Amino acid sequence: MSQRPSQTAEPSGDETTARPPDRPRSVAVEDLELTYSDGTRAVDEVTLAVPRGEFFGFLGPNGAGKTTTIKVLATLLEPTSGTVRIEGHDVTADRTRVRAAIGYMAQETSVDEELTARENLAFACDAYGVPRGDRADRIDDLLDLVDLAAVADTPAGTFSGGMKKRLDAATALVHDPQLVFLDEPTTGLDPEARNRLWDYFRRINDRGTTVFLTTQYLEEADELCDRLAVIRDGRIVADGSPDALKRRVGGAVIELGIDGGSDAVDAAAATVREDPAVDDSTVERTDEGLRVTTNDAGELGPDLLVALREAGVAVTDFSVEVPSLDDVFLAIADDAVDAFDGAKAAAGTARDEADDRHRAAVER
Amino acid sequence: MSAPDADAVAAGETAVSGTGTTVSDTGNTFFGDVRVNAERWTRKAVHNPTAFLLEIVVATFSLVLFSAVFGDVGEAALARAGFAGVDYLTFLLPAVLMQATMGSAFSSGMGLVRDLDSGMFEKTVVTPMSWTAVFAGKAAAELARIVVQLVVVLGLAVAMGARIETGLVGAAGVVAVCLLVGLLFMAVSNVVGLLARDDEVVNAASMLFMFPLLFLSPAFVPLSDDIEAVAAFNPITYGVDAVRALVLGRDTLTVLSVSRFGDTANTLVPAVAVLVALNLLVGALAVRLLARASSAEAV
Repeated sequence: MSQRPSQTAEPSGDETTARPPDRPRSVAVEDLELTYSDGTRAVDEVTLAVPRGEFFGFLGPNGAGKTTTIKVLATLLEPTSGTVRIEGHDVTADRTRVRAAIGYMAQETSVDEELTARENLAFACDAYGVPRGDRADRIDDLLDLVDLAAVADTPAGTFSGGMKKRLDAATALVHDPQLVFLDEPTTGLDPEARNRLWDYFRRINDRGTTVFLTTQYLEEADELCDRLAVIRDGRIVADGSPDALKRRVGGAVIELGIDGGSDAVDAAAATVREDPAVDDSTVERTDEGLRVTTNDAGELGPDLLVALREAGVAVTDFSVEVPSLDDVFLAIADDAVDAFDGAKAAAGTARDEADDRHRAAVER
Repeated sequence: MSAPDADAVAAGETAVSGTGTTVSDTGNTFFGDVRVNAERWTRKAVHNPTAFLLEIVVATFSLVLFSAVFGDVGEAALARAGFAGVDYLTFLLPAVLMQATMGSAFSSGMGLVRDLDSGMFEKTVVTPMSWTAVFAGKAAAELARIVVQLVVVLGLAVAMGARIETGLVGAAGVVAVCLLVGLLFMAVSNVVGLLARDDEVVNAASMLFMFPLLFLSPAFVPLSDDIEAVAAFNPITYGVDAVRALVLGRDTLTVLSVSRFGDTANTLVPAVAVLVALNLLVGALAVRLLARASSAEAV
């Protein structure tokens, strides 16, 4: 599913349990809890580990605790309890070392609009103590990387939202950090600006930098991440690779349109069942023809088409529907609600809410 | 003043960074961090000099208008109050310098609020820079901005005929006293900014402070008996009197009677002492609020 060209970090080993392999860890969180002074527990019993070089996604709806978590990891909020180690340094005891080791891109675009792109980067270089001699080259490299070289000496206040975001991301990288936190980096951007940022994040990750991304866009997590954790109401409710999470929901669905009435459909069904990868329970009749559920649509789809053609069945329509992370998210959200309060009525209400979220996600 | 953490000390330590490489030093030093932040705020001021220039224009207008409108009346009042022979322009100079200083000082709180709004505040906090150095650098740039304005206004006033009896040393003293007042109102504007988190409130507060304080002081005319009691609690009274003592080369303080230091110093010593005390008080509050805003405390 991942369309990443060459991934420096090998894909996370065991996808079903999603245990990170034994590599040095960029992020190691144990039993993190964060309670605000008004008593709101924003993060509860969160345990997670992100190995070096991974593109890790933290997925959840608004208010789930994503930003609170990322702020704790980036030393901006002190944990109420639990331990957080970033690149081996404790976020409370060793705050300055953590700050020197990470890049942080906040949810709101943070650039100094009165300064030019180059001046923003120069300030970031100074702030992170980049050696004077490396500065000019580093700044030029980053301006190229985020395609802002042509407007390097223009005040950032004149930039579009996407350009500001790219500049913001570049300033988080001046010190070549091992780990970058990106808090909902594409919220509010148009699709083109979003795609450019995605390219850019992949390039960062390809250079070996660990990326910790929060997002409420399921598509974004699916597109970019090696591994995901899903957070809801301050708790992690699922984790694994995007593919593994999708498998939790069930297989892909192949829809076949068959011409020639009921007999033709019966003949087609018989042909389909002959394929060793198909068992009876996964074949259903529909108004247009047949529906086949499978875990391997990529291979089965073409096989079926060839078999049907050889059997003389006229296939008028063919489509494959792979479950999206939206489906995963809805399934998980429902599971979590069911587990929390059990009552069917409550689950129904929650499902409606989940549907609303689903709609919102689709509309976006 | 309690720094929120030991970051100033730890900033120079070894940090693992880069793609698996170890960089021996973050390269940060306390004074380096001060310089970096002073540079940032100076660049911002240079890129957008409108406010800076307007403050100079307003001060110049005040100087011209007040001396033209109140000149003759003012000099008669001056003679009655024991300032016989002092021309009104010279008498007015401290008022205009205070006005320019206060106006400029409030840009400190405005800059802070804009940084809070734009996320630059958080972005600066999350760097390995020392928290103390970040704000010291910002304050240094703002004080430098005030110095430039004061020098311009002083130069214009002298060109228009104002006399500084104590010469260049006295003029340096004038700038120093103005900076004490500037620092005080920078602290005030930061407190307002951190409590309100709204730059329009900071802007309104600057007007709210500036005009009553200037008029309830001996800035424009010598104090009448009616307002003397109020003026004694007005920090601008001490700033104006200290500057005026340096401009005229004599004791001008009316709200306190001090006689043990000798002539000009009878004004300077108590006035500066009051301003320093107020700076410590309001400064401590501002530093506390800034420390809280930059801390990782979950609120």
